[in-house]
Amino acid sequence: MASSCSQALKQHVCKSSTILRVHLQKSWPKRSFVLNSAADQQPAVSSPEEIVIPKKKTWSKEAVLQALASTVSRDPTASDYRLQDDPYLTPKTSSEFKLFSLSQESGKNAAKYFINTYPKYFQKDYAQPHIPCLMPETLEAQIEEVSEAALIERIHMRKVKAAVDLYDQLQQAGTPVSLDVTNQLLDLICFYGDSDPAQENVPEQRNEETEDVQDEPQTKKGRASKASDQLKAAWKENNNAERIFALLSEPNTHSYSALIRGMVKYGAYSKAFSTYTDLLNNRLKADVNTFNALITAAPEVKEKYNEKWELIVDLLKELAEQKIKPNLLTLNGVLKALRRCGTLGKSQAFPVLSEMKALSIDPSLASYNHLLGIFYKPGAPFLGQTDILQEVMNEVSGKSFTPQDPDDAQFFITAVRICLDTKDIEQAYSVHELLGVGENWRLLGNDLQQNIYYARFFSLLCMMENIDVMLKWYRDLVPSVYYPSSNIMRDLLQALDTDNRLDLIPQIWKDIKQLGHANRQKLVEDLLTLMAREKQDQEVQESFAECALDIKKMYDTGDRGKVIMSWTATSLSDVISVLLAAQRRQDAWEILKLFKTHNRVPSEELLNKFLTCVTESGEVNHAVELVQISAGFCLPETPKLIQRVQQEFQLSEQQKNILSDLEIQTFNSD
Amino acid sequence: MYRRLLININQVRNRFIHTHNTRLTLPSTKCKERESFAPVTRAPCTARPLGTSSISFSENKESSTSLSEDKGKTPEENEVNAEVNTDGQRNTEMNEGTDISNATLTSQLETEPEVKPEDSKQLEKTKSGKESLLELLGAMKVEVTTVRKIRPSKTPRTSERPDQEPMESTHSMFQRAAAEGSQQHGTLSSALVAAVSAAASTLPNRHQAESELLKQLRKHEAIPDTQRRADLGHIIANMKVGKRPNGRSNVRPTSQIRFDDDGKGYTQDRGITSELDGVRRRKSPFTSKRLNLFAAGAEQDTLSDLGPTLWDIDLANQIVQATNQMPRNGFEEMIQWTKEDKLWQYPINNEAGLEEEASVPFHEHVFLEKHLDESFPQQGPVRHFMELVITGLAKNHHLMVQQKKEHIDWFRDYFRQKEDVLKEAEA
Repeated sequence: MASSCSQALKQHVCKSSTILRVHLQKSWPKRSFVLNSAADQQPAVSSPEEIVIPKKKTWSKEAVLQALASTVSRDPTASDYRLQDDPYLTPKTSSEFKLFSLSQESGKNAAKYFINTYPKYFQKDYAQPHIPCLMPETLEAQIEEVSEAALIERIHMRKVKAAVDLYDQLQQAGTPVSLDVTNQLLDLICFYGDSDPAQENVPEQRNEETEDVQDEPQTKKGRASKASDQLKAAWKENNNAERIFALLSEPNTHSYSALIRGMVKYGAYSKAFSTYTDLLNNRLKADVNTFNALITAAPEVKEKYNEKWELIVDLLKELAEQKIKPNLLTLNGVLKALRRCGTLGKSQAFPVLSEMKALSIDPSLASYNHLLGIFYKPGAPFLGQTDILQEVMNEVSGKSFTPQDPDDAQFFITAVRICLDTKDIEQAYSVHELLGVGENWRLLGNDLQQNIYYARFFSLLCMMENIDVMLKWYRDLVPSVYYPSSNIMRDLLQALDTDNRLDLIPQIWKDIKQLGHANRQKLVEDLLTLMAREKQDQEVQESFAECALDIKKMYDTGDRGKVIMSWTATSLSDVISVLLAAQRRQDAWEILKLFKTHNRVPSEELLNKFLTCVTESGEVNHAVELVQISAGFCLPETPKLIQRVQQEFQLSEQQKNILSDLEIQTFNSD
Repeated sequence: MYRRLLININQVRNRFIHTHNTRLTLPSTKCKERESFAPVTRAPCTARPLGTSSISFSENKESSTSLSEDKGKTPEENEVNAEVNTDGQRNTEMNEGTDISNATLTSQLETEPEVKPEDSKQLEKTKSGKESLLELLGAMKVEVTTVRKIRPSKTPRTSERPDQEPMESTHSMFQRAAAEGSQQHGTLSSALVAAVSAAASTLPNRHQAESELLKQLRKHEAIPDTQRRADLGHIIANMKVGKRPNGRSNVRPTSQIRFDDDGKGYTQDRGITSELDGVRRRKSPFTSKRLNLFAAGAEQDTLSDLGPTLWDIDLANQIVQATNQMPRNGFEEMIQWTKEDKLWQYPINNEAGLEEEASVPFHEHVFLEKHLDESFPQQGPVRHFMELVITGLAKNHHLMVQQKKEHIDWFRDYFRQKEDVLKEAEA
């Protein structure tokens, strides 16, 4: 809404005098009911009273929806909006979530692929008015003849090879190609590094020709090209871009810019610099993009920290000499380069930021991210620089940022990492608060980054916060935005332990089961140890026993295909002690038998405990049997057990015989 | 930019002294005007302490705005008033043509909304530098925010300016300088220099400020008048372009006022919390020295001749990929669809997609007789048939006017081809 209003205002204002404009805009912020469109917010100048009602207001097409959307807040009990398709399919674990989102994406891609591959079946246009994005795209070039128009078409369709061929044909035919079009062609070639772009939607089947040749190498080729995409295929000597560039009689700034950017993108850094020297020799001015590319390349061509920095400063000076205004990306590039300049970065980072502000360029989150990266190297010990984060948070808090740089999305992760390293919970809260401002949530990045962010935030909470606050966060975040990993769950258990709220364990166990971590041996063992360690209230003990039996089931069944956990002596004895504490001798007895089946040896302590329990109930048979089991494991404790049984129980004749036999046996074995 | 603002400050200062005895708080007109017409302006100003100086000035020039109008309460009247004011200002600008100095520039700047937050902020900051400056800036701030507003009562100003006496002298000097200024553009008059040095003496870092001021003045003197006017337009254009998406007022332009020293003398007076904040900020590394590679004022708009290039598209793509674009609720999804043009746009308009028809008036659709005149017979069965056809077409809302014409043209061709048959039948 605010956007639409300000647009309306702009139109209104162009007609009226400039003074009147001051008037309107000044009064405007008071009336912005919806502040979600941060991009269009006016500077909030405080001027009360006056409200100027515009004669006509033009609404932007999203205004109504934005207003409505701002009324909806997140529901911690519901899953993410995109997962709400079908309650049955709503993912409950992180792997299910991954599966869900991937299949959703691939479904879309598959549909797009079919529409684009068989456009003839999708010609019926139902929509009125026409919706272009639902119609099949034309993937084949329409213009067959050799002409500039055909070249332009191929450039627009990003067919690198075809465009280059056509350009060559045009050159051979002697048809001049205009400089603009050639520059566009150069852009295209340099951008894709002189090879056809891998088609986004159709990874496998390129076209039928190659498919006909052979299937095997084709898939390999597909994979290879993908890998090379990641490695960024190197800039080849004398490739088409350089060749076409050499053909130009009078290359202009744009041509040079395209070439230099391409070289930097594909790793030909020193070549980029020599091209830049060429440009200067030709008495041309570079543009800001060229400088941005060169600044990114600067740390690559020099070895020493101060040389890198000097090169960057030289570039900036030339930028100033040529009267080019740097943009946000320039200064972010400088900051990014400073991350690789060692200690020099720390001294120069803030002057760069000040320069930025002096040029009235508002730093984006990426700038702050680089700043944090300069001062807090991951892994390195931080030397009393905790206040840098503080300063940064002072700068950014309460501001809504718009994405302007691809690195913007790194900020929150970095910030919360530093909070975790410095164990600064207050700062973490302010980072999290910043995340809630305006559209900042968009800058948290993709699913993976979100997960990292919440994992760090959460482990910090487990470490620093008391259990009630922590559980509040836990209920708020899990599982609607975050599926904790098993490590985080262990942190949670530790937090429960330190705050003496072990009674919550059965609940947590339910969550663990739902989150799919019930087969993580380490986690389950931790859980059992915690339950067995101390004696709790009757009620709690009862629920522990239920929980332990539930855990036993997990050991027994082992979900299809998943890793089955194996009993260890400690886990078995933990289960038994939990059950004994809850007076469930029968169940405990069952578990005791498992020692034998799984070839584990019970501890003496456990047997003593068991015997005490049996004594309380006075079941003679069990006592004798226990001694027998103990003797079966050849435990050195057996004679003492026999002694205890003989003293504490009223034994029958037969039982006495058994015990004396056992006594002799153990004596012999000793 | 800040240099200009600095000059602005000093000029306002001068003017302030000017109008001091008039108790006029809002010196928003050009200082040269004021100087050349000093005897004229001063009288009405004393009479009416509430009016803005621009208003009073325009009254002098045109005697069109009355005080009663000035006192109007409704916003409309305000608006009118404002427009009148601007007209007045414009006129004077026209009249004085060659006399436009950088003072006009700066006063124009004052009225620009983009500059304003910085302006007032900056001014605010300089307060603690010196008492007098503080007072003056306070006045400036008021002026900036309430340029064309009728204030119910006089702004309370419990001011005593310690350096009032010396400034009086500078005032007179400046007046003289202004009188001479129109004749000699090439060099700075000694009076001007003196005025500048007096102005600079109020600032903490005296020599630097002075030299900067002088440099700036010289620069402006050197600029030919025509260029200056172009410059003005240029600046205004820049103002429009330089709109910040984020609330600019949140940005602390602390680094921008670093023109005189380490910035330690400045505080913001906004309650205790911000005071504390300020204490922290004073030590903040964000106010550290800058590289000083770029001249702050040098604005060169990057020209994008051929629309977005491949690289721009790629950058946008990268940003989109890096950020979370998933809708959080149904409305956001609808916003996404709207952006992709998949959804009917709000507010609902049943003529969506018919933009090209919007310019066609209805009678083009309804009265189609004019298309029948040329080649159809004036009477007879063909004429009768065609009348029925156009009646039908007139009521058809699915076709565009062009299609209707084509329809009629088709019949025209058809009957022309069948002319023989028709003649035979009729004859």
